[in-house]
Amino acid sequence: MRYYKTTRGNGRYIGRTASFTVYSDSLDSPITVGERVTEAAPGELVFNYGPSTGGMVESARIAITTPGEIIRSIRVDPTYKMRKLKITGLALDDAFLQIERINGYHSSSYQAAFLKAAEDALLPDPNQSLDEMLVLQMELERIRSHMNVMERLCEPAGFGVPYHQAAQLREEVSRLISSIFGHRYFFGVHSASHSTVNFNTGILKQSGDIERRFSALFESLQDSKIFVNRLQNTGKIDKHWLVGPAARAAGYRYDARIDSPSLDYRKYGLTPYIEEGRDAFARFLVRGNEIYSSFAIVNSIITDGSPECAKISDMHGSGTGASRVESPQGDLFCYLSLKNDKVEKIEFCSPSTSNIIAFEQSMPGNVFTDFHFNWESFGIWISEAGVSIE
Amino acid sequence: MRNSIWFLKGLRNGKKTERFPAADPGEPPLWPSVLEGKGEAACPTNALESGEWNAGKCIACRRCVPQYLPTGNQKTYSLSQVAPRLLSRSFYLYQVDSGTCGACNAELLSILSPQYDASRLNIFLTNTPRHADALILMGVYTEGMDEVISKAYEAMPDPKLIIALGTCAISGGVIGKAPVLSSKAVVEIQGCPPSPYTILEAIVEAKGGVK
Ligand code: SF4
Ligand code: SF4
Repeated sequence: MRYYKTTRGNGRYIGRTASFTVYSDSLDSPITVGERVTEAAPGELVFNYGPSTGGMVESARIAITTPGEIIRSIRVDPTYKMRKLKITGLALDDAFLQIERINGYHSSSYQAAFLKAAEDALLPDPNQSLDEMLVLQMELERIRSHMNVMERLCEPAGFGVPYHQAAQLREEVSRLISSIFGHRYFFGVHSASHSTVNFNTGILKQSGDIERRFSALFESLQDSKIFVNRLQNTGKIDKHWLVGPAARAAGYRYDARIDSPSLDYRKYGLTPYIEEGRDAFARFLVRGNEIYSSFAIVNSIITDGSPECAKISDMHGSGTGASRVESPQGDLFCYLSLKNDKVEKIEFCSPSTSNIIAFEQSMPGNVFTDFHFNWESFGIWISEAGVSIE
Repeated sequence: MRNSIWFLKGLRNGKKTERFPAADPGEPPLWPSVLEGKGEAACPTNALESGEWNAGKCIACRRCVPQYLPTGNQKTYSLSQVAPRLLSRSFYLYQVDSGTCGACNAELLSILSPQYDASRLNIFLTNTPRHADALILMGVYTEGMDEVISKAYEAMPDPKLIIALGTCAISGGVIGKAPVLSSKAVVEIQGCPPSPYTILEAIVEAKGGVK
């Protein structure tokens, strides 16, 4: 392991895996967290939402304790749809098929975390061209993911036109991804036999056009008093352990793109965009502004870069590696141990696990109608929080 | 006042809805699409056996290239039954996520985006199984969701259909096994994940076409 030391906690707290407490610069022994129980006081009721409801994109049970309009506490149970992925004992390329599908919406982030951990375990030096490919994938993924959060924020507000405009832009980004990588969710991009990507000359024009129309939508939403009022002061949270846009919306300059050595972002001159509001509106502003910086990185790679796919078939041997990358929703950590070309141990720490706790802690004191806005503002994906990896 | 401003902004944006399925898909993805080829190829999900391609097992991993190549053809669905005539006017879908990676869910929701606009074809998502004509089942079998899915299906009024969406829901793919109720599916929408074109066309066919 080049970047991670197994010492006492060094750096900022990222989260937990089955075996470790993960900090930005080190791994420590695991900490146990007590069971979270929801009990209603006299005059209160526990209202269960889900696990299957059309109002949510994925299955999760949400228990809301309330004496009426105000929410006193809220608990999210992501385990109903718990998939059991069996990755231990698989060769790297077979393991990769499952890694891509832990959270398909953020497949590139998982691909990057896994490939960089494998590289850390097996290869003497990082591959700069692979880094460019992974950065390109992840920044396109970030643009789409942030647009998706905006679209989801417009829906409960009943804002039909901006909701459809955001959905249209998100679909255009999916088509752009498909035209470059052959698949709308980047599956199979690093496949040994067909790892071709298509950089045609129209990509820059297309991405410029999407960015211009996104900018008009983003500005219109900021000018809408009703939209701003729904999000301002909703779901306020300020904790040192926040990750991703939630952390940056609370004034923390946390971003694995600048504070993790796993993927090389130095040449893009990225400065994290910070807000101080700590609420759903600040998270919206962070995401919107990050779309601009992601477009700038994408354009610079398409213009000047020489991105290359991974050669997974060339990765052989035994070793232990770790990596941390900035997925659209925050730090994604991967620990990987390989023995004779096979996965011996693999663990992830996902941003949605941290964001679920942040959502729970930011909800008390808010009213019922804030629930959907606040949930969407964290961009949580249950598939990466409720998954067991063996 | 607010609504009128957004309305004008919407008008300025122009019409974005494609004519699909009356016209060809505008920008179909290569993966997944119908694969053509012949010969042996190592397939991680046994989607290729005796030279036959089984779309319900394919995860679009590209390992069979160059023996098999994608055609771009989005007709990766099959139907063993269409909805009774009384459902063919409007069609309400209740989606259940048994154990997905999230991409099938996202592609299903994409049929509501302006490019596809499922509502112009009288296809709607409903928040309750009580109003649903079809149950859309996505993802692999998971213990926690098994009973939830059965209860949702029981709560639906007759006549009702089950649509299995995505390789996980049809065969388990590379992740696990298919949910129990998937054996009752009369429509299979293959792909990992199926594109919005495939989903939309399969649902239109399942409801008995456009009226
Ligand atoms: S693309 Fe489909 S058929 Fe080809 S190897 Fe992969 S799963 Fe098998
Ligand atoms: S079929 Fe593919 S895209 Fe759909 S849930 Fe399964 S792994 Fe994800």
